[in-house]
Formats: sequence, C-alpha cells, structure tokens
Amino acid sequence: MSISLLVVVAFLGLFAVFIALFLIQQRKLKDVAGGLVEHNRALTALRVLDRVILTSVRDLDTVVQEIVNIVPQELHYVGAIISLIDEKAGGLRRTAISRTPEIEEILKKVPTPFNQQVIPWSATENIMVAAVKQNTSLVTYHLSDLSYPALSREVGDSIQKRLNVKANVVYPISGSSGILGAIFFSTSKTEKEIFPFEREIMQGFAQEVGIAIENAILYRELQKKTGELANANEKLKQLDKLKDDFVSVASHELRTPMTAIRSYSWMALNKPDIKLSEKMKKYLSRVLISTERLINLVNDMLNVSRIEAGRIEIRPQIFDIGVLVDDVMAEVTPKANEKMVQLEVGKVQLPKIFADPDKVHQVLLNLIGNSLKFTPTDGLIKVNFFSDGKVIEIKVSDNGVGISKEDLSRLFQKFGRLDNSYVAAATSGGTGLGLYISKSLVELMHGTIKASSEGVGKGATFTFSLPIATPEIVAQSEKYTKRPVGEAKVLEPVAI
Amino acid sequence: MADNSGKKILIVEDDQFLRDFYQELLTAEGFTVDTAADGEIALQKIRLGGWNLVLLDIMLPKKDGLHILQDLKVQGPAQPIGPIVVLTNLGHDSVINQAFTLGASGYLIKSALNPDQVLTEINSILSKPL
Repeated sequence: MSISLLVVVAFLGLFAVFIALFLIQQRKLKDVAGGLVEHNRALTALRVLDRVILTSVRDLDTVVQEIVNIVPQELHYVGAIISLIDEKAGGLRRTAISRTPEIEEILKKVPTPFNQQVIPWSATENIMVAAVKQNTSLVTYHLSDLSYPALSREVGDSIQKRLNVKANVVYPISGSSGILGAIFFSTSKTEKEIFPFEREIMQGFAQEVGIAIENAILYRELQKKTGELANANEKLKQLDKLKDDFVSVASHELRTPMTAIRSYSWMALNKPDIKLSEKMKKYLSRVLISTERLINLVNDMLNVSRIEAGRIEIRPQIFDIGVLVDDVMAEVTPKANEKMVQLEVGKVQLPKIFADPDKVHQVLLNLIGNSLKFTPTDGLIKVNFFSDGKVIEIKVSDNGVGISKEDLSRLFQKFGRLDNSYVAAATSGGTGLGLYISKSLVELMHGTIKASSEGVGKGATFTFSLPIATPEIVAQSEKYTKRPVGEAKVLEPVAI
Repeated sequence: MADNSGKKILIVEDDQFLRDFYQELLTAEGFTVDTAADGEIALQKIRLGGWNLVLLDIMLPKKDGLHILQDLKVQGPAQPIGPIVVLTNLGHDSVINQAFTLGASGYLIKSALNPDQVLTEINSILSKPL
C-alpha cells in the first residue's frame, strides 16, 4: 500500500513537473511569438525610416515630422518627440511630436504651441537635456521628466495616465558635427518588457535620424545659399544695367562737346570769313583730326565693350561678298581720292558666303580704312579673293608703310599699335582698337584673320576668311548664329 | 545753292553751342531758322506748325525726343509740317527704329557727319516729295 501510494505520489509529482514544464514552455513560446511580432514591426519601421532618410534632402521640419510619425505607426509605441539644439534660444527646441489622435487631443490643451517650446540648458532635471549633456541614453518611468519644466509634474503625470505610458527612453542624436539633439520614445510596455533588440532599434533610429537631420540642414543651407545667389545675381544684373546706362549716357555726353569742337573747327577751316594763314590752317586741321580721333575712340571703346559683354548678335545670311566689297569701295572712294590712293578689286566668280553682312561690312571698312591710313599718296590698295571650296579668303593688301616682324604678333591686341613700323598715332588717326574689333567679329562668324608683311616699307596684307554657304554649312545655321547676352546692341559706325 | 528763302526749319537741340552752330549753318544757307532748347518748348513750337523741316534731338531736358513724337501722335500740329528728322548722337538701332515707328522721316548721327554732309542730307530730305 505504502509502495503504491508512493508510486501515485511520485506519478503525481512527475505529472506536476510535466505540467510545470509544459506551462514554462508555453510561456516561452508566447514570448518568442510576441518577440517575432515586435521584430517584424521593428523591421517595417526601419524600412519606412530608410525611405524617409533617402528622401531627406528637403525641408527639415517635414523630415523630422515624418520620422516621429513612424514610431506609433510602425513600432506601435505611444509616440516620439525630437528636440534639436537651438544655440540662439539657449537650449533644446521641441521640433516634432508624433501626430496621433490621442496626442493631438492633449496638444490642444497645452497653451504654448509645441514647436515654440524651448527647454533651457539650465533645466538639468529634464531627461532630454540630461541625455544631450551626458551624451548617453536614459530610461525613465516618469513622462514628467520630459515635459518638465514646460509643464508641471502634475500635468505630466496626468498625461502619462491618459496615454498609458509605462516607460520612456531617450537617445541623443549625433551627426558628423557632434550632438544635434535627442529623440524620446514613449511606450505602454514597462522597462522590463522592452526587448533588448528594441533598444537596439531605438539606437539605430537615433543614428539614422542624425543623418536625415544633417541632410535636411544641408538642404536648408543650400536653399538659403541658392536664394542668396539668386539675389546676388539679380543685383549684378541691376548693376550691369546701370553700367550700361552709364556708358551709354557718358558716351553721349562725351560726343556732344566733341561734335561741337569738330563742327566749329571744320567751319573755321572750310568756311572762314578771313583768309587763314598756313599756320592757322595747320593748327585747325590738327584740332579737327584729333577730335575725329576722339570720337572714333569713344565709338570703338563702346564697340569693344559690347563685343566683350557678348551683346553683339550674329545673324548669318547667304550673300555675295563681291557686292559688299564694291559697296565698301564706293564708301571709301572720296577718302581715297582725297589721299590720291588707288583702289582695285580683283574680279572673279565667287560662291556666296554664310556670315552677318553688317559685321563683314564693319571688318572691311576697318581693314580698308587701315590701309588708307598707312598708305601714302600714289599708293595702291587691292582687294582679292581666293576660295578652296570651303571658305573664301578676302585679302586686303597695300603698298604702304608695312609692318616689322616683331610687331606682327601684337597687331590684333587691344591698343596694339606699333611703334616700329606704323607711323605715330597722331597722324594715322587710328584708335588702336580696329584690328582687335575686326578679329573678334571674324571669329564670331567662325572665320580667321591674319596679317603679313615683308617688312617695314614693303606694304601689308590682311587676310580674313569666312565660310562658303554650302548646304552643309547652311544646315548648321544654329551653330553660326550668335544670340546676344541680354539686350542686343549694334556696333557704332567705323570712321575711315 | 538752292533757293531756301521762305523755308522754315526748327532746330531742337539742348546743347547751346551745337544749337548755335546748326542755326548759323542753316541761316547761311538761306533758311529761316528757329530753335528750341528743351522738349516742352519744342512740342509747343512743333504744334504751332508751318515748318518745312524739324531737326529733333533725342536726349532733351523735360521731354525727350521719343516722347515728343508720341505726343504728336495724340495731338498733331495746327498747320501741316514737313518731315521730322532725328538729329542724335545715339547710334542705337532700337532708338532709331522707335523714332521711325513714331513717325520720324530720317535720322542724322551728329558725330558721324561733318557740316557739309549735314547740309547735303538736309537738302536731299527737303527735295523728296512728301
């Protein structure tokens, strides 16, 4: 009997152990199952967070708000708050809070708008300030550790009750430049119920939030800089306009008195009411020549400034260069007759060219005008054409004073007038800018220009080339067209 | 020399020396010349009418040449007038084009012409039938 009782007791004991083991196993399974759900949530939360991070190059407030919203939506916590360091305000500025219906309800009752609340550095009791100052994660049961001193302890406690908060965890948010703020998580689990991996997730959140915030701050700064650049650009445009207006008015103002000097000295020289002495004629003609030079100089300087500012428009057309040369020859004939210089144009059948006729006219006047300046009485100026099927070369040659070897390279520079071969500026009447302008214009039309001379006293030849209007060239009309920067300006006339 | 007696020219020019100069130049050619030194006086004188030719500067005190042309479109001269020729130192296409659109018949760039050329231009404009 005693043995059978013993067996029964032993059996019952064994059974009890089995039951206990079973219950423990059940509990463990439940834990594991619960952990799996939370794992799953955490993974989803991280995926959503990644998406926010990837698109975080935008407005800071929006990014931060999206991050705190992930916490209740995906982790199923009560909510989260992000506060960022605001040095100017001297503390942590509350930047975003999860917008759940329960939290919205509470926010309505708080007098200060949420994002205007700043927790001063002196509020060391505040858990976010403490976490930032100590650069460590902290856990607390009391929600009032977060809301104090903005809200009283009592109000904090009642909110905690309403939201059913049982534990709060704070992590500092770090960026490459140091600590940026802190993120605060509230959950309805007790501290013990929080799985270790959940703490890891929270920490991961804090790290990724740091990246997102830095991106958003960079973006904000970029926006600010872009705005500043746009403003600076606008101001430069205004200044440029002012400068243009000034140059335009100043050149007009300069030309008015110069025109008066020119007109009166011309009158004194050509329509005098007394007989002029030879000396008087010489003096007056020098006044006249110098004034004309001044006027030309103002015109050429305006032209240079317009070319350099890109204000000159190139509108290519198909035209006969021979006809244009004849026109220019007719224009310079009176001056050539006055100097008793002979003009000659080579007659050949020419294909049409593709260039801007007004600009070619300007170049021809410059080059032929130059030859006229440097060719003495009884000299000869010839214009000849050569073609290789792709370009036409226009050769302007004279038998004038010529150019020394060392001066050839300086010819096309601004004020590149030459001391060695070309006669002094005063008698030539040149501005020192004509060849620079010619080169610029030819190059704008995809041509080339060069000068050659056998040496001083042996004449000079200026050759420029322009594209022939072949179907291939004309088809690329866009390439040969140049639109002006800003308002298009015309060139001032060339004086010869 | 063409007989210019009885032909009336109005010179609108703010620079005194240039105004005197053109007046002397044209008077010597036999024209009857009157002048205006600013835009408002110019508009009044043009509106009186009876000019064979008006030489109009663009940059003027009180009312610039383009505004004068605009105002004349609204209220023209009391008596018919001859061509209005813009006399300017502004070599800008846009200004010259605007002047043509507003009814100018020609333009002379002061600094680009010597006095003989100015006279040649004026005579050729006057000899053109209206």
